[in-house]
Amino acid sequence: MTAQRSLQDEAAQWVLRSEEPGWSEADQAQLDAWLAASAANKVAFWRLQHGWRAADRIGAIGAAADMPAPTMSRFSFGWRRPLPAIAASLSLLLIAAVIVASGKLPVPFSPEPDQAIELARVETAVGGRKLVGLPDGSRVELNTATAIRAGVGRARREVWLDSGEAYFDVAKDPSRPFVVHAGSRTITVLGTKFSVRRAQGRVTIIVSEGRVRVDEVRGDTVDRSATITTGNIAVAEGPTMLIADRSEDRVQEKMAWREGRLVFDGDTLGEAADEFNRYNRKQIVIADRDVAQMAIGGSFEAKNVDIFGRLLREAYGLKVTDDQEKIYISR
Amino acid sequence: MIDDAALRAWFCEEVLPHEAMLTQFIRRNWPVSADIDDLRQEIYERMVIGVRNELPRNVKYYLYAVARNHLINRAQHERVVSFELVADMTMKEDAFDHPAPEPNLIARDELRRAQVGLDNLPPRCREVVRLRKVDGLSTAETATHLGISVDTVEKQLTLGMRALVDFMLGGAGRISRPGRSHRKIGRG
Repeated sequence: MTAQRSLQDEAAQWVLRSEEPGWSEADQAQLDAWLAASAANKVAFWRLQHGWRAADRIGAIGAAADMPAPTMSRFSFGWRRPLPAIAASLSLLLIAAVIVASGKLPVPFSPEPDQAIELARVETAVGGRKLVGLPDGSRVELNTATAIRAGVGRARREVWLDSGEAYFDVAKDPSRPFVVHAGSRTITVLGTKFSVRRAQGRVTIIVSEGRVRVDEVRGDTVDRSATITTGNIAVAEGPTMLIADRSEDRVQEKMAWREGRLVFDGDTLGEAADEFNRYNRKQIVIADRDVAQMAIGGSFEAKNVDIFGRLLREAYGLKVTDDQEKIYISR
Repeated sequence: MIDDAALRAWFCEEVLPHEAMLTQFIRRNWPVSADIDDLRQEIYERMVIGVRNELPRNVKYYLYAVARNHLINRAQHERVVSFELVADMTMKEDAFDHPAPEPNLIARDELRRAQVGLDNLPPRCREVVRLRKVDGLSTAETATHLGISVDTVEKQLTLGMRALVDFMLGGAGRISRPGRSHRKIGRG
């Protein structure tokens, strides 16, 4: 049954190759053809990719925070120098160590822009949306109430997300890393499409394609880092970061603002109101807490808050009062 | 006809969470432990082919039915298993009656599992997997960083991935290296 063994290896190699930078449409077509060739290929590939992505939580560093501080350097258990067996019992500590010890690495990028690169500043007002092309061919789409500074130099490409939310479609260029700074987090792009949002001390990163690395930055050192991949939504606040694996649909919903829409699925009315309030001067105010907890679903025009109010009245039987500046919602 | 995206979602979300149970079932009913991985792959393959037109209502019963039929077919074909064993297999349905764990529990468990799974790998393999998963290095970058060939990195990653995936899905997470000779089958 060695044929099976090589099938597993072959499937594993496809999974690995599909994550590599430089993966092209021609490569994807080859993979698709290989998958289409048999159900055996499909299940082997699906299983390995699914389990391999589940293991991405190795990089979810929130849990490392309450582990003991490391005392060893990053590569102390080195190549061709296996640890003595006794160390195996300390292994959990070791993993904590390797994750946290990356703080000893120099940071390749400064948390604030230096003077060498000319920075372009782009902003959107409340309700605005703007698509910006960078000189390297990358595109940045700014959502409502957003400010960025972008600099493209010969050795690196950097964007500072000063406020709001932006979607990045990054042109592949291994010689010039693409880095997004968002408060205490820097996101290093490993060839991909993703969005970053800053709000109330929280950074949310959603990856719709490819992979990015998220570093927590304090001063000029990297404290911890994690790699997140397609379908992951990472929410970082203070020293913790949660990584959730979402279906492609859910990720697409989170990106619906790019079409001027808001999509809710099992969100609460309170969350939906917060979303609308990002896009409109006319703010929704929810009077009671149990109304804010109501579950709501559907796809809405982000800037048409009046239609949303009417739906709440007609479909949900809520009392909706509109004084042209605010919309009050109660039972 | 179920399209591949739906089939994949069903397979990953409904079937794979039962992998530990399936593996246990095969182990109890098949005398050659070296065959387990291959049998499991074949069972998955048959399941996916079988649901082309409609997804089953009860995944566990479907999984059980396919697994049982496949083991019986293989046993008859290879004349390896006594008929007592086949008869006995029908009594083991209870193995499939354990409720699946809560999804929340799985999510919370995954980080810890990933860490332990990584930890179980041999040092060389672990380092290569770690550079990829934590530092996000590509194969070529890993090779340069460690001063080894791309080919070696790929081999270690392949071994590491297979072991780690096995562990993430409830297995022992041991490295299975090619070329290990199969034990001769003694029963029949």
